[in-house]
Amino acid sequence: MAEGAETSPQDDGLRRPWGTIVTFLLPALTLYVALTAYPAIRTFWNSFHIVLPRREEFVGLANYVELVRDDIFWRAVSNTLVWACASPVIEVSIALLLALALYAKVPGARFFRVAWFTPVLMSYIVVGILWLWIYNYDWGPINVALRALGLDHLARPWLGDPDTALPALIFVTSWMWVGFNMVVLLAALHSLPREVIEAAELDNCGWGGKLIFVILPLVSATLLNLVVLSFIGKMKIFDLVWITTKGNPLWSTETVSTYVYKRAFEWTTFDLGYPSTIAAVWFVIVLGAVLGLTRLFRLRERLEY
Amino acid sequence: MASLQRAILMLILCGYTAFAAGPFVWAAMLSLRTTTEIHIDHFALPDPIHWEKFPDAWFNSNYATYFLNSVQVVVAAVLIVTIVGAMAAHCLARYRFRLNRVIYFVLFSTIIFPPQITIISLFQVLVNYGLYNSKLGLTLVYVAIQLPLTVYILESFFARIPADLFDAARMDGYSDWEIFWRVALPVALPAVATTVILNFILLWNEFLFAVVLITEEANRTLPLGIQRFIGDTQEDIGMIATGLMIAIIPVVAIYAFFSEKLIQGMTAGAVK
Repeated sequence: MAEGAETSPQDDGLRRPWGTIVTFLLPALTLYVALTAYPAIRTFWNSFHIVLPRREEFVGLANYVELVRDDIFWRAVSNTLVWACASPVIEVSIALLLALALYAKVPGARFFRVAWFTPVLMSYIVVGILWLWIYNYDWGPINVALRALGLDHLARPWLGDPDTALPALIFVTSWMWVGFNMVVLLAALHSLPREVIEAAELDNCGWGGKLIFVILPLVSATLLNLVVLSFIGKMKIFDLVWITTKGNPLWSTETVSTYVYKRAFEWTTFDLGYPSTIAAVWFVIVLGAVLGLTRLFRLRERLEY
Repeated sequence: MASLQRAILMLILCGYTAFAAGPFVWAAMLSLRTTTEIHIDHFALPDPIHWEKFPDAWFNSNYATYFLNSVQVVVAAVLIVTIVGAMAAHCLARYRFRLNRVIYFVLFSTIIFPPQITIISLFQVLVNYGLYNSKLGLTLVYVAIQLPLTVYILESFFARIPADLFDAARMDGYSDWEIFWRVALPVALPAVATTVILNFILLWNEFLFAVVLITEEANRTLPLGIQRFIGDTQEDIGMIATGLMIAIIPVVAIYAFFSEKLIQGMTAGAVK
């Protein structure tokens, strides 16, 4: 780093105390290199090897070839993508409706805001166990309510049925994150210039028109930010699945994260090379998807609070 | 007409509140009832209230160990990440030098990495250094995973401190370190507090790295402990609910005191 110490002619007069700069950055960079950068690079290295506890063997692209043929992996990819695409739409649209409701100056807005934010503070472990009970076949509140309404045929083991398990878990993440999205949107709404909205009111603009033509375009940057954020979060999802279904039944809730974990630490193959290949491919997919999304949405704006 | 609309709106808002908070209220009720009572009626109010279940869960199932492990690991990690992150953030915000933006961008982009990309190799690295299955190892990993977000939030705050303040401090003969420690850090205290609370909550709830890097009973953190607890107590719903409440209480306590700060922190982190 020290070779950057020469000062250019058009120096703006600021001194560059390299000793100080290095001292300030060194602890952070050491930790970053040792526990983030190096492990990430080693994962790519692993992906071309068979990595057993006492033996490493170069296998070239064999792991990648196996990956292409691995049906469970593709099932996990499709589950995760469904999750990552459905969640942002559900969460952000409900959150927008709720934020608009609070924006309309209802009494107790502060209380609602604090209450709705709560689920996101709980760990997926706690939330997962709570929802295992809520979805319980015999005494979970959902089935109890359905039976009370005489809709017995709709009662089912929600997490045990391959058709409903994934939607049920998507519902749980939505329950958790809607409040969070709502709070961010509410902050964005409150930071809108009052004059613009008042001007729209003067122009005899109704609620619907105000929403579509004035408010939505103004908060679009926030909306898209939240979509990307929710997307990234769901591409990483692990804890909730692990505590509730572990990917069952019949791989219907398997995500890439749980599959990597299973292949690395649960299956008795003891090989860390193949799971590293999954991780490497997934890393590229996530990075590509996020870059693609941000490029698509041109999220240059950074929100300030 | 308008008042009818109002009433419907309030009804929807209250309905959503019940939906968002209901599961916690239910869990709180279950935590104060015995499993036998629960099996008679899953939705009855706690009567009589069984407070004794809390000490029971705490003393008879290693909960004290899990809780103290979590406290140790999380407090140490938050302390380290705050200081290390603040130093880096201050440096990136205050000094202009080549590579400044490169370092910032590299740190920042790490926020979107899926954890799988490091977790398998971290397992190998910690095994190599004898830090696998130790609280020290987990603490260092926690520092590393929260570092990018911490630097990101603090950098944007430090960057807004007027340079005049630093020039004045320099006139007064402060060294670079004193400027950081005695000027920048106190001024940035609100942002520092935000990152401390945010990191605390996120790490208190962390599960994936803990489950990979810790296997020994004596080193389990609370989320691992709860998972273990479910395995051990199986259908003892009442006891599990009590265990859940013990894990929730610190978070709720922090939220009760710092709800605004926390919401700020989460939303700032959201806009990464």
